[in-house]
Amino acid sequence: MELVDKIIKGERAAIAKAITLVESSKDTDQQISRQLISELIKKPGKSIRVGFSGPPGVGKSTFIESFGSYLVSQNYKLGILAIDPSSQITGGSILGDKTRMVEISKNPNTFIRSTPSRGTLGGISMGTREASIILDAAGYDFIFIETVGVGQSEIVASNLVDIFTLIVGPGSGDELQGIKKGITEYADIFIVNKNDGELKMEASKTAADYKSALSYYKKLDALEKQVLLVSAIEQTGMEDVIKTINQIIDQNKLKGIFDERRADQLEYWIEEEVKNIIASDITKRLTSKGNIPKYSEKVMKNEMSMYEAVETITKDTLKQ
Amino acid sequence: MTNKSNNGFNTWQKSFEKETKKNFSDAKSETDEGIDIKPVYTRDDLENFSFVENNSLPGQWPYTRGPKASMYTNRPWTIRQYAGFSTAEESNEFYKKNLESGQKGLSVAFDLPTHRGYDSDDDLVMGDVGKAGVAIDTVEDMKILFNNIPLDQMSVSMTMNGAVLPVLASFIVAGEEQGVDKSLLSGTIQNDILKEFMVRNTYIYPPEPSMKIVADIIEFTSKEMPKFNSISISGYHMQEAGADNVLELAYTLADGMEYVRAAMSKGLDVDDFAPRLSFFFAIGTDFFMEIAKLRAARTLWAKIMKNFGAKNERSLILRTHCQTSGVSLTEKDPYNNIIRTSYEALSAILGGTQSLHTNSFDEAIALPTDESARIARNTQLILQNETGVTKTVDPLAGSYFVENLTEELSKKAWDIISEIEELGGMTKAVKAGIPKLKIEESATKKQAKVDSGSRVVVGVNKYKNPKEPSVDVRVIDNNRVRDDQIKKIQAIKKSRDTKAVEKALTNLTNAAKDETNLLIPCIEAIKLRATVGEVSKALEQVYGRHFAKSLSVSGVYGKHFEGDEEFMKVESKIKEFENLNGRRPRVLVVKMGQDGHDRGAKIVATSFADMGFDVDMGPLFQSPKDVAKDAIENDVHAIGVSTLAAGHKTLVPELMKGLKEIDPKSKIIVFVGGIIPEQDYEFLYENNVSAIFGPGSNIIESAEKVIDLISDNLSKE
Repeated sequence: MELVDKIIKGERAAIAKAITLVESSKDTDQQISRQLISELIKKPGKSIRVGFSGPPGVGKSTFIESFGSYLVSQNYKLGILAIDPSSQITGGSILGDKTRMVEISKNPNTFIRSTPSRGTLGGISMGTREASIILDAAGYDFIFIETVGVGQSEIVASNLVDIFTLIVGPGSGDELQGIKKGITEYADIFIVNKNDGELKMEASKTAADYKSALSYYKKLDALEKQVLLVSAIEQTGMEDVIKTINQIIDQNKLKGIFDERRADQLEYWIEEEVKNIIASDITKRLTSKGNIPKYSEKVMKNEMSMYEAVETITKDTLKQ
Repeated sequence: MTNKSNNGFNTWQKSFEKETKKNFSDAKSETDEGIDIKPVYTRDDLENFSFVENNSLPGQWPYTRGPKASMYTNRPWTIRQYAGFSTAEESNEFYKKNLESGQKGLSVAFDLPTHRGYDSDDDLVMGDVGKAGVAIDTVEDMKILFNNIPLDQMSVSMTMNGAVLPVLASFIVAGEEQGVDKSLLSGTIQNDILKEFMVRNTYIYPPEPSMKIVADIIEFTSKEMPKFNSISISGYHMQEAGADNVLELAYTLADGMEYVRAAMSKGLDVDDFAPRLSFFFAIGTDFFMEIAKLRAARTLWAKIMKNFGAKNERSLILRTHCQTSGVSLTEKDPYNNIIRTSYEALSAILGGTQSLHTNSFDEAIALPTDESARIARNTQLILQNETGVTKTVDPLAGSYFVENLTEELSKKAWDIISEIEELGGMTKAVKAGIPKLKIEESATKKQAKVDSGSRVVVGVNKYKNPKEPSVDVRVIDNNRVRDDQIKKIQAIKKSRDTKAVEKALTNLTNAAKDETNLLIPCIEAIKLRATVGEVSKALEQVYGRHFAKSLSVSGVYGKHFEGDEEFMKVESKIKEFENLNGRRPRVLVVKMGQDGHDRGAKIVATSFADMGFDVDMGPLFQSPKDVAKDAIENDVHAIGVSTLAAGHKTLVPELMKGLKEIDPKSKIIVFVGGIIPEQDYEFLYENNVSAIFGPGSNIIESAEKVIDLISDNLSKE
């Protein structure tokens, strides 16, 4: 494929078009996209994929601007996939993430793509995984996946990355009681942002709260969860973040956790794809046979029970 | 509400209901501010006031009726026309002509690079030099600007907020080198940074150091420049950005309170500086509301200053400059603007302003010409000399309606002010982005009313002119201006004592690290011929440059169009597009260069999103190259460029070049909206711009055009 060569050469427009293809809901686009991903997956790059999540208002984009600037100044190439949460139910979206990434968006060594979340589970949009494969093949050293932290998103996002980071604000330590085991399990690094000005004391206290709470969740084999203090505005603590990321990646590679994770993610991906195909197939059959209205009418007339109807429809639908 | 004991009123009400076939209680009309206007007001409506005092007199507490006892009967308001463009030489010529024709005070417009603290030779400002104001790089420019204008006799108002230190320093040094001591300089510096963070966006540093600079200037002028107004607390730009009158009033006064606190924190006594605080309001087309706003502003400010412990009567008095509304001007049928401006001017006068700028009718299209500036000035001269409005002080006092409206506005504004105080004051509110968001919400509502036709704009959405007149406009050759400025900078840099300049700049940087009043080292640096850009950078080293977070409203626009046919038509076109193409149409809305007026861009973004577009917002102050990268990475279908500062002739071709450089086969279409003179249309079309939307364009129609253009473009593949 011509597109594959262009992506590997790092042509900006080709990368962008490819991401459009993998995000597209059009059947023909989906077919091309599958071919494309199959090709690209054979030519993997060396990217480390880092997930960033956190509740709204903690300064995720500002942090990424600050941390990204640091990485770029160290000559890394950086791809950013920002899942913008500002989708509306009916209308389109306003994708404003880039207004907070002024400096890095200018840099020739970055590629920044915003995607509307469209209300999909966990704020991860269709195609995010594929987009990260494209950026990997294009030679980006780091790929950031930024999602807004609501409910399930951490778990879904953590299935796409090598290292998962939760960004929190000062004062959020009080909510630790309420933090479900899930998040602490999936996140590798906790970054307490806004360690600056009036909030400095509060930020240190929050970091300490996190540290003590996380000590209960220590996993065997895994490196201890890290809690870092940063100020995105004052651009402090950025060296610690990259140092910690590299440390965890190195350790995980050494212990085989890195590959294990990628294998798990591949399994998860295959499972998801299979489920999707089955689900859409079944949906098509359901509609074409018209069993649901037929049997629900019977239930209404007391001719059969609800569960009998379910069983009959299921059997009929699965019958080849 | 009605007086039941009054038979006369009951009879009137019956007649009213018979004539209108409406219940009296339903016959109210709601204003943008959420005030219900009744069809008639009576003596009963003057009761139970908590702000307005019914028997007060002009020049007396609570100053509702005017800051002075005699008002225009003694001396009419000052005709102060805001102007400036191109080089200092050309602006100076223009000023001198105006002064000969009856203008009394000067008001300087600076170009955007000067506002943002960049020299004309900086690559970042290529498209903006000399465009929306005059370019000032060094004190030499300032001296040329006031050549043969004696600064001890002329009051000079300067709209400057971001680069306020080097510009005020240049003004002081220019005066000194003219032989005028700073204590004799009179005029005003706008120095109102809070509203920049809310609406106008010509800031340089983050909010806290910016507030420190404001306080430094208040401190310095209160001690050294007794005839100079240290600040002009401005609501103007809020209304221009779409704020209704309550928001404008409340936020302006709340800003004022914040400046008072900043100055007091420097150890100044409130009466040392409060008499030199001045205000600046916009006067739009809602005739009585605008009059009431000025009366309410004085009433509330007196109360506020009393609470601050002011003892000097002059500290309690709000003095204001006004300008007729720029956003009320339309590109369509532009001579209507003369009429709009006349009514707005009358509002300002009946409201008791101290000075006034009347807009030229062509300002929705370009910078005023000599001829249009003359009509604008004459609008005021006719009011002063022919109409008799100067003969009676506050002639609307006692009007049941106007007094009631003054009270209503005061109440509503006071509620908002109290809310902000609870938040901890305006700096905090601004940092949280609350006022900006409220103003954008109000702006979007107003736009929706015009687009849906529920608000009539003559010549735009009704009574359209079948034969649009063509208007001659002033053309600025910004490349020539930029070349001239660069030559001047180079000459000065050659002849000055470089070592001394460097030392002065280091001193300034060091001063920014402690509590020193920054104006003093600034004056030293400017005297030695440091440039505006160098001074700004010296401070930037300590303070950094501020980048605003951008929040957006959503759903506000669409709400006005539930069930609207046109709106639904665009919605369904977008759905069709999505089915066909596998994604929604995607548009990047940008501002380029140093122009920070983002009301238009924001309204387009939010309303397009409400219709179903995916809208990417770019940061402010992007270069065309950055925009091209952003557009290509996000694979948008179209770029919408919003331009209000006349930089489009340089910036748009640069953008086209940038797109082709990254992707020679780029099929991204570009449309342009904002203030674009008709004469430039051809140039833009020649540069492959697909559509141009002037002021007053209906957004739904524009959206439909954009989706059609995108679809056409894709079908060509």
